[in-house]
Amino acid sequence: MQQLSQKHLLGIKELTREDLELIFETADNFKDVINRPIKKVPSLRDITIANVFFENSTRTRLSFELAEKRLSADVINFSTSNSSVKKGETLLDTVNNILAMKVDMVVMRHSSPGAPHFLAKHIDANIVNAGDGTHEHPTQALLDTFSIRAQFGKIDGLKVAIIGDILHSRVALSNIFALQKLGADVMVCGPNTLLPKYISSLGVKVELDVKKALEWCDVANVLRIQLERQQIKYFPSLREYSLYYGINKKLLDTIDKKITIMHPGPINRGVELSSDVADSEHAIILDQVENGVAIRMAVLYLLAGVKTV
Amino acid sequence: MDVLIKSVKIIDKESTHHKKEVDMLVSDGKIKKIGKVEISSGKTIDAKGMILSTGWFDMRSNFCDPGLEHKEDLFSGMETAANGGFTGVALMPNTKPILQTKNDMKYVYSRVEGNIVDVYPMGAVTIDVNGEDFTEMIDLHEAGAIAFTDGEQPIWQSDILLKSLQYLKKINGLLINKPEDKRLNLFGQMNEGVNSTILGMKGMPKLGEELMIDRDIALLEYAGGRLHLSQLSTAESIEKVRRAKKKGLNITCDVAAFQSLFDDSYLSSFDTNFKVNPPFREKTDNDAIVKGLNDGTIDVIVSSHSPHDEESKKLEFDLADFGIISLQTVTSNIAELSDKVDMEELIEKLTSSPRKLLGLEQPKIEEGANANLTLFAPELEWTFDANTNKSKSIFSPYFGKKLKGKAVAIFNNGQMVIND
Repeated sequence: MQQLSQKHLLGIKELTREDLELIFETADNFKDVINRPIKKVPSLRDITIANVFFENSTRTRLSFELAEKRLSADVINFSTSNSSVKKGETLLDTVNNILAMKVDMVVMRHSSPGAPHFLAKHIDANIVNAGDGTHEHPTQALLDTFSIRAQFGKIDGLKVAIIGDILHSRVALSNIFALQKLGADVMVCGPNTLLPKYISSLGVKVELDVKKALEWCDVANVLRIQLERQQIKYFPSLREYSLYYGINKKLLDTIDKKITIMHPGPINRGVELSSDVADSEHAIILDQVENGVAIRMAVLYLLAGVKTV
Repeated sequence: MDVLIKSVKIIDKESTHHKKEVDMLVSDGKIKKIGKVEISSGKTIDAKGMILSTGWFDMRSNFCDPGLEHKEDLFSGMETAANGGFTGVALMPNTKPILQTKNDMKYVYSRVEGNIVDVYPMGAVTIDVNGEDFTEMIDLHEAGAIAFTDGEQPIWQSDILLKSLQYLKKINGLLINKPEDKRLNLFGQMNEGVNSTILGMKGMPKLGEELMIDRDIALLEYAGGRLHLSQLSTAESIEKVRRAKKKGLNITCDVAAFQSLFDDSYLSSFDTNFKVNPPFREKTDNDAIVKGLNDGTIDVIVSSHSPHDEESKKLEFDLADFGIISLQTVTSNIAELSDKVDMEELIEKLTSSPRKLLGLEQPKIEEGANANLTLFAPELEWTFDANTNKSKSIFSPYFGKKLKGKAVAIFNNGQMVIND
C-alpha cells in the first residue's frame, strides 16, 4: 500500500504533492463506497478515534464522525466550546487522559495556532488537525481542492480566488498551500485590513476589488466573515461589507463567463453570499460537504496505515 | 583560600594589565598578586585561553521574588547568576507586588545581603506598572532603587514618560523604557512577516518598537534627563538611537545577548522556547545588532532572564508567556558573538558599561583591590541541562543542548564560586 509521508495531518504545508494525490485517489474510492447501499467498510475496525473539539463546530465534527463510522472505527467525542485550558487542566493533560483510555488517533480542533503541532511533539497517537485557530484547516483545503478536481477534472493551471477575511482564515492559508502544490494560480481578495500584510510573499495575487477578482478567476472560494475570530475592529459594518464585498447574482451576471462558487460553510446569507448565488447552479457548496466525508475517510485510513517508526 | 589563576588573559580597559597574559593570585577576597606567580598550597586554575575581567553585571533580570517564587526566587536567581558568571544583577520590578515602595527595596536588600552576587532592585515608575500614577521615586532612590523602569511594561503614556524624565533629574536617575506600542502589538505572538503569515499567527510589527523610539527620543530632547532604551530588536531601532546619540542626546540602549542569534524562522515548530518579547526578527535586524555592538551604538548587553513555570510555558504557543531563562547562557552567546564583535567590546558591555550607567563603583584589576572578577572560558564546552541548570525554570532554546563558552569562576564580596 502507498503511504503518506507524514504520521500526522498537521497542515497542508507539511504534505507533498504526491501525498495530496494519494489522498484524492483514496477519496475517489471512498466516494464510491458512500454512494453504495451499504456505506460501511471495515478498514478501521479496532481503531479508536477521539474527536476533541475545543472550539465550536457542527459540520466539521459531524463530517469526521461520519467518516470514522463509515470506516468502522470506534469513536469518542469530547467537546467544549470554551477553550479554558489556562484555567483548568492543560491541553496536554486533557489529551493524555483521553489517550490513557487507549485511543489511537486524535482529531482536534483548537483555537490556538500550532496546538496540534504542540500535541504531536508530546504524545504518540496520530493527530489530525481539524482547524487550529488562524493557522490551518487541512481537511477543508483537501475537500475544497478535491471538489475543484471533480468539477474541472484537473487543478493545474486553474485560477482560484479566495475572497473574504483572509487574515483570520485557516481555510485560506490551507487552500493557498494546497492549490499552489497542485499547480493552480491563487488570488486573495478582501478589505485590505483583512489581508495579511505579507500575504503576497506567499506567491499569491492580491486584489481589493471583488469584481476584478471574479473577472480573473475560474473558481471563487468565498469565506465566511469570521466575526467571532476578530479581536479588533477591521471594517465598519456587515452592511458595508456586503455592499462592497458580497457576491450576488447581479454581480455575477455582469461577468461574461461562468464561475464556480465555493463556500466552506456556514454561510452568512446576504453577507458574503446572497441566496440566489448560494443556491444556484454556480455553487458546488453541497458537493463540498459530500466530498468532505470521503476526504476525511481517506485521511484517517491513510494515517492509520502509516507505521510509527 | 588562595586561588592561582594561571596564564589568563586580562580584559579590562582601565587596567594596566589589559590584554596581557598573566598569573593572578586571589587570596581572602583580594587580588594579591598579578604577574608571574607560583604557589605551594591552595587551588590552581589553568586558565590558558580564558579571559579574566571585572565581574559581569546584568542590567535586566527577573527573579520573580516576592510573589512568583514558583518561577524563581532571589536565592535561585543569585545562584543562577553566579553560575552564569555574573557578580552583579539589577532586578526588574515586575514581581507580585511590584517593587514600588521603600519596603519592597528593604525586602530585597535584606534577603540578598552577604551573597557573592550583588543584587540591586529597580523601582517601578508607575504604581503597579500600569502607566497611570507615579511611584515615590525619590524616596525609592533613597531606599536603594538603582534605576527606574516599568520593566516588562512599556511606559505608554507620553506625559508619564516626559514627567518621569523631568522628575528624575533631581537625583540624576536613569529611566529605563522598553519601547513597545501595545496597541500595534495587541494579541501579537511573534515578529510580523512572512513567517507569521505562514504560521497564521498575529504579528508584532517592527513599527511597534520603532514608533515608540521616535516618541521617546522626542520626549528626551524636550525634557532632558537620562533615558535608556532596553531590548532593541530591529535595524531601524538601532539606527534611530545612533542618530540620537550623534545629536548629543543623553540616550543609551541595550540588547539581549541572545537577540541577534535567532530569527523568526525558528518559530516554525511553534516551540514556546522561542517566544520572547521583543520577538526574534529577521537576519537583517540581527546584522544591524552586530553592527550596533561594534560601533558602540549599543551600550550594554543584558541577559533578559525571564523564568517561567510549566503552567505558563508548556502550552499552546499563543497561551504561553513571553520570556526565557538566559543568565547561564550569556557566556555561550558571547562566545558566539565574538566571531563578529571584538571580545573587548563585548566584555565592556557586560561589565563597566552597565555599572557606569547605574552609577556603581567600578571594580579594579590591580594588586590589593577587592576581587570582583569573572573568569570566562570562551572555548569550554558544556551541556545546559537539568544537571547544570540552576534556575527553577527550564524554558530556554538552549536547554538540553551542548554549548561552547562557560563561566569558570567568579569572585566577589570575599567569596568565590568555581564551576569545575
